[in-house]
Amino acid sequence: MFHLIKRNRQQSNDSRGAWPLGRLETAVMEILWARGEGRVHEVARGLDRRLAYTTVMTTLDRLFKKGLLDRAKQKRAFVYAPRMSRQEWERRRAGELVAGFLNGPEPSREMLLSCFLEAVGAQDAPLLDELERKIRMKRKEISRQGGQ
Amino acid sequence: MNSSYALRLTCLCFASFFLVHTALGVVAAACAPLVGRLAGGMRARSAALLLLGVRLAPACLAVTAVVGLCVPSYLWFEPETAGERVGIACIAAALLGGLAWATSFVRVYRGIAGSRRYARGRGGVDGTARVSGDLSPVRVVEEPAPVLLLCGVFRSRIIISRSILSGLPPEQLDAALRHEQAHRSSRDNFKRLLMLLSPSLVPFSRGFAALERSWEKAAEWAADDAATGGDEVRAVSLAAALVRVARMGVNPDPPLVASLTAGGRGLEARVDRLLRPRPLPEQPGRSFHTAVGAAVLAGSCVVAGVFLAPAALSSIHRLLELLLR
Repeated sequence: MFHLIKRNRQQSNDSRGAWPLGRLETAVMEILWARGEGRVHEVARGLDRRLAYTTVMTTLDRLFKKGLLDRAKQKRAFVYAPRMSRQEWERRRAGELVAGFLNGPEPSREMLLSCFLEAVGAQDAPLLDELERKIRMKRKEISRQGGQ
Repeated sequence: MNSSYALRLTCLCFASFFLVHTALGVVAAACAPLVGRLAGGMRARSAALLLLGVRLAPACLAVTAVVGLCVPSYLWFEPETAGERVGIACIAAALLGGLAWATSFVRVYRGIAGSRRYARGRGGVDGTARVSGDLSPVRVVEEPAPVLLLCGVFRSRIIISRSILSGLPPEQLDAALRHEQAHRSSRDNFKRLLMLLSPSLVPFSRGFAALERSWEKAAEWAADDAATGGDEVRAVSLAAALVRVARMGVNPDPPLVASLTAGGRGLEARVDRLLRPRPLPEQPGRSFHTAVGAAVLAGSCVVAGVFLAPAALSSIHRLLELLLR
């Protein structure tokens, strides 16, 4: 059991600003979020492409140093486990992204807001199309009534 | 009047306000769904008036009770030499009452400051425009974002961006300006200020949010009705203007501002309503308003007469004594 193992309390470099993940790092995290914990060869087996043992080991070590994983030694091999749930990680990442923009200069704040508004606007586009269609129909109805 | 006497009176005023306001507020919040349904069957302008009345009633009645009943009974029946101690419950209620007012004043200050900042931060050119036959102060701002709103409480002016001026055909622009002018005529920004000033059900809570949302909707509908005046063609123009401005982008509204698209809330319902054929809204006669006003005045006089009788004031003073302990 993971909790019975003497944990390696080596403090990871908690470089929280380095949370944006590469494709392989994301895939590794997905496996560990799904499994709860895993050794290097277990993670390597879970990947959808064959990668060298050392590549996966380096990736796990990098994630540990980024502060995203905990690790504990068990029979001369490290067992890795996520330090936070996927939901918590996404929430923190979104928070950092927004805070980065809001702490930045005025134009970057405005850019962030305008991106949000554009996204909302894009979502509403079908509704506005539908409303425009109704308006066109009503105009036709009025002009027909005027012609009679 | 010595200081401890005045302090006790102040404490009693805030405590009584908190208790009366909370009791009435709970009733108002509980009645909100019923009032909403009732308002749904009324003309938009009357519905807005009803919803505003229910929203402001707890604070108005609580202030009336304190000023009209508690203060006179205390001054009349409480001897200045009495050295009563104020109980913990009374102090707690007074603190909550004071907190309720403090949060309201902060809200008002922020609202006014935000509205001023919004108007000043945009610069622009001031002028006047003839809308619905009246000359209205208008400020044209050089802004890429679509802005068409009524800003300011006492000296409100329509703020419009070049993108709207150049993006809307004349008949749609006319309908949109009429909508803002209708907000101006019905002093909707002042009503917003009153709602900010009127304390919440419990400090820092949004106990009247449902009533305020219903009022916002009714006020927008009322402004739509006033802008179109029952004219079908103008109603279609206003609907088209709403959709066109929404396409340009909807910005969240600053406080104490009435914008054309109202932050995009309820846009579909508004457009559908404008496109639905409706009979001309009936204007209640002046005699109806006079009759309602006279009835309210007569009722108030009767209630004041009953409560300000010495026996009634004495009973209120006994209640205050209980509260004070």
